[in-house]
Amino acid sequence: MNAATPVRTVCPYCAVGCHLDLLVENGRVAGLEYAVDSPVNGGRLCAKGHAALEMLNHPDRLQHPLQRSATGWVPVSWDRALDTAAERIGKILAAHGPDALAFLSTAKGSNEENYLVQKLARVLGTHNVDHCARLCHASTLTGLAPMLGMGAATNPLSDLGRSDCLFFVGSNLAENHPVAFRWVQEAKDRGARILVADPRRTPTAWIADLHLPLKPGTDLALLAAMLHVIFQEGLCDDAFIAQRTRGVEALRASVKDTDPFWAARLTGVPARDIVRAARLYAKAPRASLIYCMGVTQHVLGTETVRACADLALVTGNVGREGSGLFPVRGQDNVQGACDMGALSGLLPGYRPVSDPNARIFFERAWGLPAGTLGAVPGLTVTEMEQAAGDRVRGLIAIGENPVVTSPDSRKTQENLKRLDFLLVVDLFITETAELAHLVLPAAAWAEKSGSRTNTDRRVQWSPKAVHPPGEARPDWKILTDLAHRLGLGSFFPYTCPEDVLEEIRRVVPAYGGMSPRRLATAAEGIAWPCPEENHPGTPVLHEHRFATEDGLARLYPVVFREVPELPDADFPYCLTTGRVTLHYNSGAMTRRSPSLGSRSPYLFVEIHPEDAAREGIRHGERVRVVTRRGTMEARAHVTGSIGPGVVFAPFHFPETNALTQNVLDPAAKIPEFKTAACRLEKMRGTGP
Amino acid sequence: MEQSVKERVMVRLERCTGCRSCEIACRVAHSRGGTLLTAVLEEPKPSRRIFVEQAADSPAPFLCRHCEDAPCVRCCPTGALAFDEDSRLVVYTEPRCIGCHACVMACPFGVIQPGRGNGYVVKCDRCPGRDQPACVEACPTKALVLESRFISDRRLRTVARFVEAARGGPPVEDMLASGSPQTP
Repeated sequence: MNAATPVRTVCPYCAVGCHLDLLVENGRVAGLEYAVDSPVNGGRLCAKGHAALEMLNHPDRLQHPLQRSATGWVPVSWDRALDTAAERIGKILAAHGPDALAFLSTAKGSNEENYLVQKLARVLGTHNVDHCARLCHASTLTGLAPMLGMGAATNPLSDLGRSDCLFFVGSNLAENHPVAFRWVQEAKDRGARILVADPRRTPTAWIADLHLPLKPGTDLALLAAMLHVIFQEGLCDDAFIAQRTRGVEALRASVKDTDPFWAARLTGVPARDIVRAARLYAKAPRASLIYCMGVTQHVLGTETVRACADLALVTGNVGREGSGLFPVRGQDNVQGACDMGALSGLLPGYRPVSDPNARIFFERAWGLPAGTLGAVPGLTVTEMEQAAGDRVRGLIAIGENPVVTSPDSRKTQENLKRLDFLLVVDLFITETAELAHLVLPAAAWAEKSGSRTNTDRRVQWSPKAVHPPGEARPDWKILTDLAHRLGLGSFFPYTCPEDVLEEIRRVVPAYGGMSPRRLATAAEGIAWPCPEENHPGTPVLHEHRFATEDGLARLYPVVFREVPELPDADFPYCLTTGRVTLHYNSGAMTRRSPSLGSRSPYLFVEIHPEDAAREGIRHGERVRVVTRRGTMEARAHVTGSIGPGVVFAPFHFPETNALTQNVLDPAAKIPEFKTAACRLEKMRGTGP
Repeated sequence: MEQSVKERVMVRLERCTGCRSCEIACRVAHSRGGTLLTAVLEEPKPSRRIFVEQAADSPAPFLCRHCEDAPCVRCCPTGALAFDEDSRLVVYTEPRCIGCHACVMACPFGVIQPGRGNGYVVKCDRCPGRDQPACVEACPTKALVLESRFISDRRLRTVARFVEAARGGPPVEDMLASGSPQTP
């Protein structure tokens, strides 16, 4: 072990972007060391980071391309696999045109790989490229971009430690980003106040000074009432509003009637606590607002994100160290995948496809004939899956597992089965790969080089430490080879990820100063925007002006609506979903990891003791949860940490999303994951 | 330093992540070599005196409370366990102990354990000779803190709430009167 040389990589799990020092021995990762001098995690790791090698060295890792045959999977050579892929894609192109193809890019891939996926789709002539940001922070983009000019976190997470008041809305940072939670504890040790709005008393809420246990889907009512209190009591920062924002009168008028008593009836939170929360947040010298899936995964996602930003803006809590707006990202490179334009409506650098100048710019940069890029956005993740087998004939899914992660997943599964060609590139045979015609083995994080962007907008280079298992290849190589087979070699002249980064620098101004050499040696990474080689990067956004045309932020009025599916006589409970600390998203990685899986092996549902008593359900019993879309079985956890009338299930298991609704936020196209009317059925014959 | 030795170790349950750093630090502090590298090789294995239990879905560290009227002291037939008025600790004097384990049975918290080669019984000695108990020093989230800090933190927060309530604006009910259009 002493002879091994540590290679500093970036953890493949959440968006905190912790450093992992891998000990390489005889071409294999034999262990890991704590990156004690890392500015991101200072040597700390959570349970998932600790178990990362179990996933890397897992015996089930795919080693060879696999083709479906009548008798099951047949290993084939790369040449054969890529030829097959190119041929099947070519047939679909010839018969149905480019819009019959769809690409699911991946937040688990590097910036370079995401750039290549969207470039491949667009060079083929379609904007049908999207990734899982659509299911997590799409509403952050649509919500914040028109207000602040940018849909990203305004400050690095380390700023939480300098804050005087931390307001968490629908974020369970303690469980989902454990390493970042130390800054919250530091802030609390300094005397900061912690406010948590969450239907569950989560580990984040345990540390709170004030927990606001609101009903799922009523976040907007709570925020509107807080804005009402802030205006009525004159707690707003009038100078900031006057100098740096527009639209305050419309906002003020929209919250004129949304008083705390109104909100108390909708949210179930006492009016007194809503007033206290508003006063604590508005009076703090430096306040931070942290929000996550509890805000974004709603039909009202965009509006709720905007209300969060309104709250931060009217109290002057943007553009300063120690205060800010923190949409906490879930995956290691979901920020980067968005930056790279792996979204159906946005070209790299967030340039809308509807902008003719942006289209001309990229057509020239990529050497495409004028008019190749369409002006209409392509299909989003959920739209692709709805259109699969119908308008969409071929789907290329890279590191995505929609059968588990998409709402109403049974329907998704049926649609995927009707595709002419489903190509999956992944580490394992996931639930989605089971349906594929061809599965290509990908390299994991430690087996390829590339840059990744964490939730701070911190771009970090993660170098290759070992070779992939068997014949597995990095995504950038697979994509480049596939493009060559499709006759697009001249657009994909890359021999290494560094070549791709050089191209990204030329077309995405925010990444302009990030040369491969500079990134590889920047111990702290570089926060975008970093337009030039000698620019230090921008950890805090909007210090002097917002990224809007006139430099002023826009305030948006707040209009509350009820969730689309309220509990009724047949489905009397509200099902909400979320994460647990030991699992990660679709569970494709963590459910295979023995030390994580054994500690959290089964799907459970949290039920309030009163509801459990009414249904005759006891702790630990098997129950059936039924919604209008599907049924799942799970073990009952009877707990007072959830409110009456609400049922919680983690979404890391394939069953959960068979129950959720595919009703979309009209702007962000994000599904309503967080509420669904359900009923509970005690399972018979399981004994006492 | 003397002051800190006397202080009890308090647990802020809401901060414990169950990492068990305290258990390791305790074992190392009570090993012969005093370092992690030597401690792992020692036989008998160095004992720990703090226990992280998983209870009611939450990790919870627990250790000897050094009770002032301690059941273990009351039942000890030889005076091997005694409450020391100077240090305000329940002190174990091994030469007096006959290894009857009456104290193990008497302790309501289950934090006195058979010694298994490390004396007859083992319990927290609050790390004599250190500035802070090893467990407190090792806790990464400060779930374990000394008494004075625990109490002053709690007091400060409560006082702050009082002050805010006293001068923090009108009570909620007054918002009704102050003219905001109201739906009952």
